[in-house]
Amino acid sequence: MEVAEVISITKPSSSRPFEDVDDDNDSDVEMNNTTNQSIVTPGELITDDPIWMKGHGTYFINDKTYSSVAGTVSRVNRLLSVIPIRGRYQPETGDHIVGRITEVGNKRWKVDIGAKQDAVLMLGSVNLPGGILRRKSETDELQMRNFLKEGDLLNAEVQTIFNNGIASLHTRSLKYGKLRNGIFLKVPSSLIIKSKNHAFDLTGNISCVLGVNGYIWLYKTNVNNPTSNNNNNNSNNSNNPSITRLEEESSWEIYSDKNDTTITNSIRSNITRYYNIIKALSYCELGITEQRISMGYEASLAYVNLGSLNDKDAMETICQDIINNEKMRGIN
Amino acid sequence: MSRSVDVSTNERAYFIEGLKAGIRLNGRRFDEIRYPHNIHLSKEEYGYVELEWGKNKISVRVSSYIRKPFEDRPFEGIFNINCEINSMASAKFENGKNSDEEVLISRIIEKSIRRSNSLDLESLCIIAGEKVWNITVDLNFLNYDGNFIDIGCFGVMLALQHFKKPDISIINGGEDIIVHDINEREPQPLSILHVPVCLTYCFYNITNQQEVNIKGESTSDDIYLLDCDYKEDLLKSGSIIITLNKNREIIQLSKNGGIPIDASLLVDLALGSIKVVDELTDLMKKLIKDHEQQRFDELNLKLLQVGADR
Amino acid sequence: MSRMELYSPEGLRIDGRRWNELRRFESRINTHPNSCDGSSYVEQGNTKVICMVQGPMEPSSRSQADSAGATIEVNLSVASFSTFERKKRSKSEKRMVEMKATLERTFQQSVMCHLYPRTLISIDIHVLAQDGGLLASMANAVTLALIDAGVAMYDYVSCISVGLHDQTPLLDLNGLEEQDISTLTIGVIGKTEKLALLMLEDKMPLDHLESTLGIAIAATHRIRDLMDDEVRKHGNLRSSKLAKN
Repeated sequence: MEVAEVISITKPSSSRPFEDVDDDNDSDVEMNNTTNQSIVTPGELITDDPIWMKGHGTYFINDKTYSSVAGTVSRVNRLLSVIPIRGRYQPETGDHIVGRITEVGNKRWKVDIGAKQDAVLMLGSVNLPGGILRRKSETDELQMRNFLKEGDLLNAEVQTIFNNGIASLHTRSLKYGKLRNGIFLKVPSSLIIKSKNHAFDLTGNISCVLGVNGYIWLYKTNVNNPTSNNNNNNSNNSNNPSITRLEEESSWEIYSDKNDTTITNSIRSNITRYYNIIKALSYCELGITEQRISMGYEASLAYVNLGSLNDKDAMETICQDIINNEKMRGIN
Repeated sequence: MSRSVDVSTNERAYFIEGLKAGIRLNGRRFDEIRYPHNIHLSKEEYGYVELEWGKNKISVRVSSYIRKPFEDRPFEGIFNINCEINSMASAKFENGKNSDEEVLISRIIEKSIRRSNSLDLESLCIIAGEKVWNITVDLNFLNYDGNFIDIGCFGVMLALQHFKKPDISIINGGEDIIVHDINEREPQPLSILHVPVCLTYCFYNITNQQEVNIKGESTSDDIYLLDCDYKEDLLKSGSIIITLNKNREIIQLSKNGGIPIDASLLVDLALGSIKVVDELTDLMKKLIKDHEQQRFDELNLKLLQVGADR
Repeated sequence: MSRMELYSPEGLRIDGRRWNELRRFESRINTHPNSCDGSSYVEQGNTKVICMVQGPMEPSSRSQADSAGATIEVNLSVASFSTFERKKRSKSEKRMVEMKATLERTFQQSVMCHLYPRTLISIDIHVLAQDGGLLASMANAVTLALIDAGVAMYDYVSCISVGLHDQTPLLDLNGLEEQDISTLTIGVIGKTEKLALLMLEDKMPLDHLESTLGIAIAATHRIRDLMDDEVRKHGNLRSSKLAKN
């Protein structure tokens, strides 16, 4: 079939791909850097060399490997895969995540963790009142809803990934469990940068669980049980959970649905401040880390009115401050 | 979901193997259609047709009445097609609930016949802006054996050609009309501008490798079947519906999902379909002619003819 | 319909285009970064469409969980202000159901559904303004939104409408032209000549089919390039941002 000529008129700018880089970010996008890690798009031929093994984000016909998503090519040893620029959270073993119970089933809870499929939390992988070594009885099975019910938020760790892609969670540590005394916030999971510690205390008596899946929980710091157990500047660092303490703590209290009565207005407004800072980071598509949140907090103190943090200008200024701050410290 | 029977993996493999060897399980050639049989053109009333096509069975009734035209189209009659598909035809279809498939079937029949102006709407006008004929076609599917669209279209076109509307005369200078009884005056046939014929081709990807189908260069691996029966329809991996008429016009083309097909293959299929279209159109013409002749003989209409011997 | 001069002897159409000229095609992806997994906005001339993709995600009802692959669900909403004459359109209108089913089935095939068993990919399409080529714009918007959502696809599905005026194929019909002449909408996979989507609503002489398809396929390839530019532009911008962290 003969292919004819087609005329199309486009904006002249489209020939210069980096013209409208947002000004909120610093403008020195390294052109040479972007060219060598340029992205591939669906249907693009990546290689016709048969030595590569085909990983995620690719498909192949005979020896030719094509990309199936828009993203960057990653070559690990012989494994060729394409990592999508955006996409749902892909759980990995060991990830600290925040999730929401969607269903109470037979010996298991279903948990929405923002992935393609809901994760499962087996009755056997939670701490129950009475200590870690207790066997799970039928009575426990019957009162599963008293521990966690639909809509409850919890933080947990990914235990394994089943071969059908469903993640299995566990909460067998005092760090994990039901979440109280705070608010929930969701950001794209690609913005969360994996680090050693995803639960930390922030200035202003606020703690944060920065789920790897992009679900974030901001809450009042629990005085008895600070979340960060390796923070040296924390005054009471003798609180590392031990088996003995675990037993004490594993009372019904950890499944309580009641918020503390002592949440003051200043704590509430601090939570909101952090909430808006994280929103700002997400708006400017900056990676979210503990340090950046702290820096953002300092930058945001210029704004007395918390509501004004929602303004586009304010969000951009805060992010610019963070970036400048990082430059000063020579991080980047 | 439908409550239809699923085909087992073994059956599917057997079927595909057959196709590779060039054999259809029903013994037809790939481009061979089942021809309609047991065609019943009603002698008592105009516009009632029952016909079978394979194990498919449909009944079509055309009815008419006089009404006021739509305000924006005062010179045009009104033409509707009602498709009735219910679980009588197959458990696949649910009563009362219109599944996407049912809507697609009726939509394509409607597009082929109504939207293509197969029926001359202006000829249905009696008094402009006041009185026009409303023609309604009720299409009932009685049994399902794959490929409702082709059969439905054939049935509706046959019934429309069979139908005759009562003769009328306009009196009082265009103010009133008299509708003559069909026994009093010979009724008038509808004016049909062209006869669309739908043909459905089903595609089968016998390599079972989606990638090759989408990116591969050759399409010789694809097999297409004309006029699928029930089982072939369940196993298809894509289909395309081509509506043509004798004047070498494409009335409608539609491909609702399924594996992609090559553009040149589409052109080949369309060109190849002309033969079948001609056959079916001629068949319709012959059926109507024979029926007319029969009626003519039986009712001794010869006596009424102008110029007949007295 | 009054007989307008759709194609002047000088070779110009009513909006001043040549026969083989596309309307301005503009697209953006990731327009709604926080409210959905993938989003896009497509303008083809005066036809404007927003598309949002959620998923792959856990289906809300068990019947949508297919262990063989993802279920694709399309929700169409056409704004009542999208046409010159304000008109409320119901979702159950046959034309809407047909377009919805066509899109669902098309993308069921071009998305690598088998990678996402037991999940649902929900696609919401909002038509803000229509001026011809609606189905084509919707399909283009869906393609972009799915790519933005990181859903694995074999290739782009790029769509265009084409009409036939006398003997001349006219590319990318606008609303006025669409009313008067028959419209063929095709969707092509990547840079091949494979048709994933095909819809002709009115008469077209059989012998002109081939030439009409030829120009339409060339146009879809152009549309694919335009979409690809946008995806790359956005992707490079984004990967440069992420690299800094």
